[in-house]
Amino acid sequence: MKISTNWLKDFVELAPPVSRTAERLTMAGLEVKKCEVLKTPSDTVFEIEITSNRPDWLSHWGVAREIAAVENLSLKNPVVDAEKNRVPPKGWDVKIKDAEGCPYYTGVLIEGIVPAKTPDFIINRLLACGIRSINLIVDITNYVLLEIGQPLHAFDADLVRGQEIQLRKPKAGEKFLAINGAEIALQQDDLVVADSERAVALAGVMGGKDSEISDRTRNVFLESAFFNPIRVRKTSRRHQLASDSSYRFERRVDPEGVDLGCRRALWLIEKYAKPRSISAVIKAGEKPQLEIKTVHLKAEEVKKTLGVEIKPNQIVSILARLGLDAKPHSEEIWKVAIPSFRPDLTRPVDLIEEIARIYGYENIPETLPAREPLSVTESPRLALERKVRNLLSGAGWNETVTFSLIGDEGLDAEKDLKNAVQIVNPLHHGLHWMRPTLVTSLLDVIQRNVNAGADSLRFFEIANVYVMPDIHKHPVEERVCAIVLYGKRSAQSWLDAARPVTFYDLKGVVETVLAAAGCSEICTAKASKSYLIPGKSEELRAWQDPLAFLGEVAPALCKVRGLKEPVYYAEISLEKILAHAPAIRAFKEWPKYPTIERDLSLVVKETVKGGELMGEIRGMGQGLIRVVELFDLFRGKRVPAGYKNLAFRVIYQSTERTLVSDEVQKLHEKIAATLVQKYQASFQA
Amino acid sequence: MKDQISRIEQEAREELARVDSAEKNELFRVAYLGKKGKLTELLKQLGALVPEEKKAVGAELNRVKQWIESSVEEFRRKSSSAGNSSEIFDETLPGIRPPRGSIHLLQQTIQEISGIFNRMGFETVEGPEIETEFHNFTALNIPLDHPSRDAFDTFYTTRGQLLRSQTSTVQIRVMKERKPPLKIIAPGRVYRPDTVDASHSFMFHQIEGLMVDDRTTFSDLKGVLHLFLRELFGSSTKIRFRPHFFPFTEPSVEIDIQWGKGWLEILGAGSVDPNVFREVGYDVTTTRGFAFGLGVERIAMLRHGITDIRHFYENDLRFLRQF
Repeated sequence: MKISTNWLKDFVELAPPVSRTAERLTMAGLEVKKCEVLKTPSDTVFEIEITSNRPDWLSHWGVAREIAAVENLSLKNPVVDAEKNRVPPKGWDVKIKDAEGCPYYTGVLIEGIVPAKTPDFIINRLLACGIRSINLIVDITNYVLLEIGQPLHAFDADLVRGQEIQLRKPKAGEKFLAINGAEIALQQDDLVVADSERAVALAGVMGGKDSEISDRTRNVFLESAFFNPIRVRKTSRRHQLASDSSYRFERRVDPEGVDLGCRRALWLIEKYAKPRSISAVIKAGEKPQLEIKTVHLKAEEVKKTLGVEIKPNQIVSILARLGLDAKPHSEEIWKVAIPSFRPDLTRPVDLIEEIARIYGYENIPETLPAREPLSVTESPRLALERKVRNLLSGAGWNETVTFSLIGDEGLDAEKDLKNAVQIVNPLHHGLHWMRPTLVTSLLDVIQRNVNAGADSLRFFEIANVYVMPDIHKHPVEERVCAIVLYGKRSAQSWLDAARPVTFYDLKGVVETVLAAAGCSEICTAKASKSYLIPGKSEELRAWQDPLAFLGEVAPALCKVRGLKEPVYYAEISLEKILAHAPAIRAFKEWPKYPTIERDLSLVVKETVKGGELMGEIRGMGQGLIRVVELFDLFRGKRVPAGYKNLAFRVIYQSTERTLVSDEVQKLHEKIAATLVQKYQASFQA
Repeated sequence: MKDQISRIEQEAREELARVDSAEKNELFRVAYLGKKGKLTELLKQLGALVPEEKKAVGAELNRVKQWIESSVEEFRRKSSSAGNSSEIFDETLPGIRPPRGSIHLLQQTIQEISGIFNRMGFETVEGPEIETEFHNFTALNIPLDHPSRDAFDTFYTTRGQLLRSQTSTVQIRVMKERKPPLKIIAPGRVYRPDTVDASHSFMFHQIEGLMVDDRTTFSDLKGVLHLFLRELFGSSTKIRFRPHFFPFTEPSVEIDIQWGKGWLEILGAGSVDPNVFREVGYDVTTTRGFAFGLGVERIAMLRHGITDIRHFYENDLRFLRQF
């Protein structure tokens, strides 16, 4: 909100410089964000951030009241109409038909105004606060709003039909033409100000086009009222209409300000619009009272909350400066009267905050709490995340942070998004899913970096995926580590050649993560993900529990992003890993007996899976095989088409004795012979 | 036979010292390990020994054999890479670097901040991002249809849940589960429907902190948070405590840090509002505590001179690799 310092000076003495006043206000909780110096007329305008709990600050008088409290100065009151010799307007009536929406309404008839120019000081002050001058009457209502904080509305009295004002709910299907030209379909819960025939204002929010003040207006009906804050807020949000008035009404105006605002406006109107007559004020309903008018404050509570001893007489004096009358109730307890403009003060702690504010937060000492230590365990999952992060970043992978909200591009509505969590009010770009996988997010990262000229890309992200397996239950969030790989495995150097990444580079890193976590006994199964190529993907499991899936990303997803090389993607469930990882690893003694190595080179049909062969070899090893490694794989040359040559290194070792060469040789030959038979294999060509 | 072995080893050592060319190296190898080499001959005799002797002698022979093999191999390697002379060796060529990855700057910042609080005895906890109205608003003393809610525009799911707009939700969850004393911090993602620009994003990261027992005061809040900011920004950091409003704390405070000539808001905090304690079922007369929240992006931007928040989520390697 913009506050003119010239205007403040009407109510309180400002000791120069104004920057000091700005500083004091900021340190009292009215943060002055900006000080703008105006030249003609000379003025300094504060841009103040006013928190939603302090509607009483939404005016110059209110801010001046705060300055007076903070600086311990006296506050002047605005000059108002004396209300002498007034008679009720003949034939005019105000009927409140919705007292919940409008507990208190006042109106006054002003007749025979002279069309006159708005005085310069009003124009300038409004302008300093960002409001353009419209006409004298409207300018005065705006002036009073900014000065006292009470929104007023002026109707052209000749356009109000039937000399009647009703405060009522809209009729079914009723429409309203707002001053800004918008036609509004009124809703049942709205509150309107109506004449005998139609709505002339959306109460507290906006006036109507049909009754607005114009240059031809001679007779004015001036409204000053208290509208229910929640009702105004709902209406304002429902119709997406907001105004300086609705802003104040929804934060709750001071009920005492209703009369004051009216009388202030009348004083200005009388002086500048020179009306022929002003009626007595019609008042309907009752001024709402504060629900809590007194709060009991214990002196010791102040110390217990703030941690500083403030003397009782100082507390009373601070409260007095804020307009809070503290009377001794019993020993060490005060009974504090709350003024009508402070609905935010309902509990002792609210008063303690006020005391702290005026006492000065900077004057409260700093202490470091000395307490008995509490247990500070790191959760196993956070520990695992840290381990995985360090492992991958150390091995050359870059961690990303991408948005959890995604669009549906690239994902299968039936397969991937069926159980996904959807957002009803997405912001833009159709980002309306809480992602069930990170694949599209990481593909976007690849695309961005490829476009920037990078050609060797390794990324990972540790984040949640979100699914809703049961629509009647709360969605499930699962922490995963997603890994993506693209382009060259390493850049070419003067010692080493470059080579493109493969599925096996991805698989290797996934295996390393699982091993680092301590998962063993991993087996593989087919993965079925719409975004991975079916034959080029798999799932890694422990005891049938899927821990991770990995594979080559479907070409369609790469193509739309202009990616020419294959992309490899994996997702590891960190929660599932934890379930299969030992909390503490037990030491295992390694066998002391010597090892014997034998190679086994086989030519098999392309369709034979290498992993299956390795499993077979191990299975036939009678417990004497320690390691089976694939150390070479080739095709072509002497290997016929449709076949491949796999070369395994088998390391034999017993945990109980030294193996004899002959024994190993026999076993090795037997394994070889079995494989030859079972897989129609032949030895190296 | 053992004597023979040690004699041959001695001989070989002397001969090796004279090897200065690839030819001589090969001759040396053949002399000991060739088909008729001295060591090969001894190996052939091994079969004639009694088993006990066979094991010991075999091991010794094997040791010498391996030594000769490795010596020959070493000479080959040295000469073939043309590096056997310091004149030819070019130490100025670039090193072959292992790939270097990175932990995202936001994560590094979270780890650093969490680390400071962990050392002060605060435990790191987490909570869900998809939340209920109760945890995100009601329990935090933010009534429906109240202007204080304006600051917390929120994404909703089709099933009536919402994406948490602040990590304060975790306070509520932890307090509902546990009894005081509590000292926790909760880092995580939060969501608000803000249009993305240089300083806004609809998803960002916060760290929430909470300390609750029967005696914590506002001056404890000041002490702990000032210590934290000195740890993070350096011991000469100037800060100020400014009154503010948050629905879930009373008194509330914003903490500014001096930055250049001005002040920058860095933390929101306050004594936990009794209404919050009431919502989680604590005794409001005996429970006291403070809570605070900070924006991870904001702190990372300040410390590293980043002026556009979008860098964090674009994941350009030219950005990621700098940290």
